[in-house]
Amino acid sequence: MLDVGRHPNIELLAYSEVEKVEGEAGNFSVTVRRKARYVREDRCTGCGACAEKCPTLVPDAFNEGLRNRKAIYSLFAQGIPSTHTIDADHCRQMNGKKCGICAKTCQAEAIDFDQKDRILELNVAAIIIAAGYDVFDPSQIPEYRYQEIPNVVTAIEFERLLSASGPTGGHLDRPSDRAIEADIEEMEKSAGKSQKALVKFEEKYGESSAAFYEKYQSGAYPDDEDRKKWADKYADHLTVVEPLEALRKKAEGFDVARRLAFIQCVGSRDFRFYPFCSGYCCMHSIKEAIIAHEHGPDTTSTIFGMDIRAVGKGFEEYKIRGGNHSNITYVRGRVAEIVEGPDNNPVVIYEDTRERKVKRQEFDMVILATACAPSKGIAALVKTVGVELDPYNFLKTSPLSPVDTTTPGIFVCGCAESPMDVPESVAQASSAAERAAEIVFQTDLIKEKAVA
Amino acid sequence: MSKDILVIGGGIAGMQSSLDLADMGIKVHLVEKLPSIGGKMAQLDKTFPTNDCAI
Ligand SMILES: Cc1cc2nc3c(=O)[nH]c(=O)nc-3n(C[C@H](O)[C@H](O)[C@H](O)COP(=O)(O)OP(=O)(O)OC[C@H]3O[C@@H](n4cnc5c(N)ncnc54)[C@H](O)[C@@H]3O)c2cc1C
Ligand code: SF4
Ligand code: SF4
Repeated sequence: MLDVGRHPNIELLAYSEVEKVEGEAGNFSVTVRRKARYVREDRCTGCGACAEKCPTLVPDAFNEGLRNRKAIYSLFAQGIPSTHTIDADHCRQMNGKKCGICAKTCQAEAIDFDQKDRILELNVAAIIIAAGYDVFDPSQIPEYRYQEIPNVVTAIEFERLLSASGPTGGHLDRPSDRAIEADIEEMEKSAGKSQKALVKFEEKYGESSAAFYEKYQSGAYPDDEDRKKWADKYADHLTVVEPLEALRKKAEGFDVARRLAFIQCVGSRDFRFYPFCSGYCCMHSIKEAIIAHEHGPDTTSTIFGMDIRAVGKGFEEYKIRGGNHSNITYVRGRVAEIVEGPDNNPVVIYEDTRERKVKRQEFDMVILATACAPSKGIAALVKTVGVELDPYNFLKTSPLSPVDTTTPGIFVCGCAESPMDVPESVAQASSAAERAAEIVFQTDLIKEKAVA
Repeated sequence: MSKDILVIGGGIAGMQSSLDLADMGIKVHLVEKLPSIGGKMAQLDKTFPTNDCAI
C-alpha cells in the first residue's frame, strides 16, 4: 500500500469515481469526479487531532459496524492516503448545526467546509477494472438468524474481532456480551447524573440518601416538600442502579468465545443464491480457526461443510495442520438451522452425512463463511466504462483470455472477474497489467512508424 | 494518443496492476471510491496459507 502511495508513476485518486469513458483502445477520454473531502489534501498531515475532538459518532464500516468512528475520519489507521475525510451525511456543521470543532483543532488549517467536487479529465491508452466484490448478506437466509442471534457473525466481522487493531483488540468477546457491556456503560453515565442530583441533598441534610429514604418510606417527613423531592430523585436513581447492579453481576461471568462453529457455503453452492463455489471461504475458515486457537489454546472449532476445498499451493497441508494442531474438527454435513440456546449460545442443527443423523450442538459463537457476491456498484460502473457482465454480474471474460473484457483495451482482474483468493488476484493483476502495457507499447510502435 | 493507464479499484488486484505498470515506466491513474486504498485485504487480520499480516 505504501509503495502505491509513494510511486512517482502512480497518481492516486482516492475518494473518486469514474463518471464517463469515451474513445477506444489506445485513446480513451475519461472523466473522474474527485469527491470533496472537506479537508485539503495539500494541508492535512493525517495527525488525527480533528477526529479525536469530533463529538459525532458514526458506525464504522471498516470495522463492520462493530465499533464507531467519528464524522471526520481516516478509513483505517495506516490508510493511504492518510488525508482525513468529513462524512457530510453525519457532520453537525454540514447539517446546519453549530460545531466546527475540527476546524478549530486542526493546526494545519486543512478543514474546508466549502470544498467542492472537482472534475478531472484524463487521456489513457487502456483501462483495468479491479473493482472487487461484496460480502454476501446472510440475512437473506432466514434459517441462520444472522440478524436475530447476536453471536452469529460473518467471517469478515470475525476477522475484525481477531485483529489486534480491531474493536476488541483481538479478544474474542461475544457480541451479546459486548452489547451488555455497552448498556452498562450507558447506565453508568445516567447513574452518575442521578447520583449528582442526590449529593446536594445529602450535603444539606448530612446523611446518605439510602438512610434518609428508609425513614422517609416509614412516614418520617409527612409534609416536607424538599425532602419529597429528594425521595423522588432517589427513587429515580434506584430505577437505574438496581438493573445496573444486576447487569454488572452478569458481566462478571463473561468469558471469551472458546467453542466456535464455522458454517461453509453461506450463499455459495446454493441454488437460491449463487450456484458457484466462492473458492476462498473454506480456507479463510481454517485460517480464522487457527488464529483463534493461537489466541486461546483451549479454543475448539468445528467446520461444517459439504466438503473442504483446499485447492492451492500449500492449502491441503494447511488444512491438515489445522486439524492436528489447532483443535479443528471437520464435519461433513449441511447446517439446516441455527437457534438460540441458553446464555445467548447459538445451537447448530445439522445433518451429519457420515453418520446419517440429525444432530444439535451448542457453541459460544457461529461464524458464517459468506459467498463472494458481485459488487453492488458494478452494473453502473460497466455501463459507464462500456463492457459486459456475465449472468452473475461478474465481468464477462473467456477461458482463454481471462483478463480481457468484451471491449478491446479494457481489462479486468481480481474478484471483479470471479471469486478468487489473494494469490490468484495478484497473478491476474500482473497479467492484466501486461495486457494493458501491450496497448501502450503498440501506440509507441505506431508513432515510430509514422515518424519513419 | 496516450501512454497512460487507468486502474479502477484500489484493492490488492488494482494495487498490484498499478505497481507492475508503474515499474515498467508507465504512468498510472488509480481511482478508488473509498477514502483510502487497500480493499477487503486491509480488513483481514492475517492471510492464508502463510498467516502473514494482511497489510
Ligand atoms: C472473511 C474473508 C477472509 C479472507 N481471507 C483471505 C485470506 O486469508 N487469504 C486470501 O488469499 N484471500 C482471502 N480472502 C479473499 C480476499 O479478500 C480477496 O481475494 C481479495 O480481497 C480480492 O481483491 P480485489 O482487489 O479483487 O477486491 P477488493 O478487495 O474488493 O478491492 C476492490 C477495491 O475497489 C474499490 N471499488 C469498488 N468499486 C469501485 C468503483 N466503482 N470505483 C472505484 N473503486 C471501486 C473498492 O472500494 C475496493 O477498494 C478473504 C475474504 C473474506 C471475505
Ligand atoms: S464540524 Fe464537528 S461534527 Fe463535523 S466533522 Fe468537524 S468536529 Fe465533527
Ligand atoms: S470455498 Fe468452500 S465454503 Fe466457499 S463456496 Fe467453496 S466450498 Fe463453499
